[in-house]
Amino acid sequence: MRGEGEILVVHRLLDEQILDSEGKRCGRVDDIEFRGSPPRVAALLVGEGLYPRRLPQWLRGPARKLAGPERWGANVLRVPWEEVDRIGSALHLRGKAEELGLGEGDDPERWMVRRLPWN
Amino acid sequence: MKSVLKIALGIIAALGGFLDIGDIVFTTQAGALYRYDLLWAVVLGTVGIAVYAEMCGRVAAVTGRPVFDVIRMRMGFGLGLVSLLASTFVNVLTVAAELGGLAIILQLLFDAEFSLFVVLAAIGLVVVVALLPFGGIERVFGCCGLMMLVFLATAIHQGPDWGEVAHGFVPSFSDSKLYLYFVVGVFAAALMPYEVHFYSSGAVEEGWDESNLRENRLNATVGYALGGILACTLIVVSGYLFHPIGVDPTDLGTAALPAQGAFGETGLLLALGGIMFCVGGAAIDSSFAASYNLAQFLGWEWGRYRGPRKAPRFTASWLLFLFLAMLIVLSGINPVEITEYSVVLAVVALPLTYFPILMIAGDRSFMGKHANGKISKALGWIYFAVIIILSITAIPLLLMTNGGGG
Repeated sequence: MRGEGEILVVHRLLDEQILDSEGKRCGRVDDIEFRGSPPRVAALLVGEGLYPRRLPQWLRGPARKLAGPERWGANVLRVPWEEVDRIGSALHLRGKAEELGLGEGDDPERWMVRRLPWN
Repeated sequence: MKSVLKIALGIIAALGGFLDIGDIVFTTQAGALYRYDLLWAVVLGTVGIAVYAEMCGRVAAVTGRPVFDVIRMRMGFGLGLVSLLASTFVNVLTVAAELGGLAIILQLLFDAEFSLFVVLAAIGLVVVVALLPFGGIERVFGCCGLMMLVFLATAIHQGPDWGEVAHGFVPSFSDSKLYLYFVVGVFAAALMPYEVHFYSSGAVEEGWDESNLRENRLNATVGYALGGILACTLIVVSGYLFHPIGVDPTDLGTAALPAQGAFGETGLLLALGGIMFCVGGAAIDSSFAASYNLAQFLGWEWGRYRGPRKAPRFTASWLLFLFLAMLIVLSGINPVEITEYSVVLAVVALPLTYFPILMIAGDRSFMGKHANGKISKALGWIYFAVIIILSITAIPLLLMTNGGGG
């Protein structure tokens, strides 16, 4: 039985592209957090730190060494479900990426070399 | 009128996107070795890329999803990652092959050190991409690539026995492993996966929606069919000239010689110019494909239309892939050899990108009324079977024939 407000979580939500309110691509749904009984989607989890656990078991150890939290820090972001505006051909957020800390890797400031003499 | 021009330009861009160093190397050698016998393999490959590209373009126009977006959605992280790694490896190898080809042509035109031209070619591509908008890049290379039509004129001028040529379109098999290797090579060169990675991401770059579906159909059918005809003429001119005298065209410059035979120096220059723009355009397409795939898989901002400031990781990865390809060519491996490996390995990686597209193009929950119809579905599955067979046989054939060396 499919009730109102239910979606096929793995089919339509997991791995979906995330767009912020301005249409900026700011990550993918790398994992989903459930709470309560019956379980409901509480938040989307995004970040490189989640990649190791998406791999087959025998690869997780080496992957954690390469990209785990010890190495890249706390690289998992939590996006509360309330922040999700709608799911269409991508997952649209209500707010801007910066407010949630998403898509920082594409922050132009990070990529600018400010210490060069001509800057 | 304006829309006719737009459609014509789209078709020309598709035509330019079809021919690359893989087609040129494999068709010229196939003609020299087996005369017109392998023409059918070009047709098989051309219909294959048309079917696949039409599906990818349709999925991109209807759902806004390019190939690696679909792969991550349908195959998940683990299997998707395998697909990403395989595709990236093949794409970078392809960029190296195209870059090496570009340097060979430049060296033939302006006599100087090969490695200098490799570096200059890479810098030239960065400048072109920095200066031109996305549509401009495609159209400039597509239109200049039309110089390849000199090969069609050459074929007509040579006046081969057309009955014999027509016979080449009937599939024939022999138990010669080298012949089978060339069947795989000619087919795979037409169906290089970077072409659809680029084509579908290009549809998003140009903001396609459902109103572009007709344009998509025309690009994929007419554009690739014209590309296929040009690939056939490469076999015909090479078969006519090189087969009787037993020449083995192992370097790229030899491919241009039939045009010189027919039209003298003008012919030669047109042929070299055409090859240069086809290979140069393909170098851009394949390097973009590599960074499109990475960015789409990881959810980064991407696209030439966003510009380097808004998509810095995409731009940086593009420069990195181009640089890696440059190092591969500078290592001294013969670009023709790199080409053969990139084409044969591409057919091995192909099912990993083909399958998820076939799945989503037929999924009504994503595609609505634009999901695969009966014909697309049938052709899609037939080609999937063909690709599976070829991808299983490709590497054994490569090893058994010593990379086509016999």
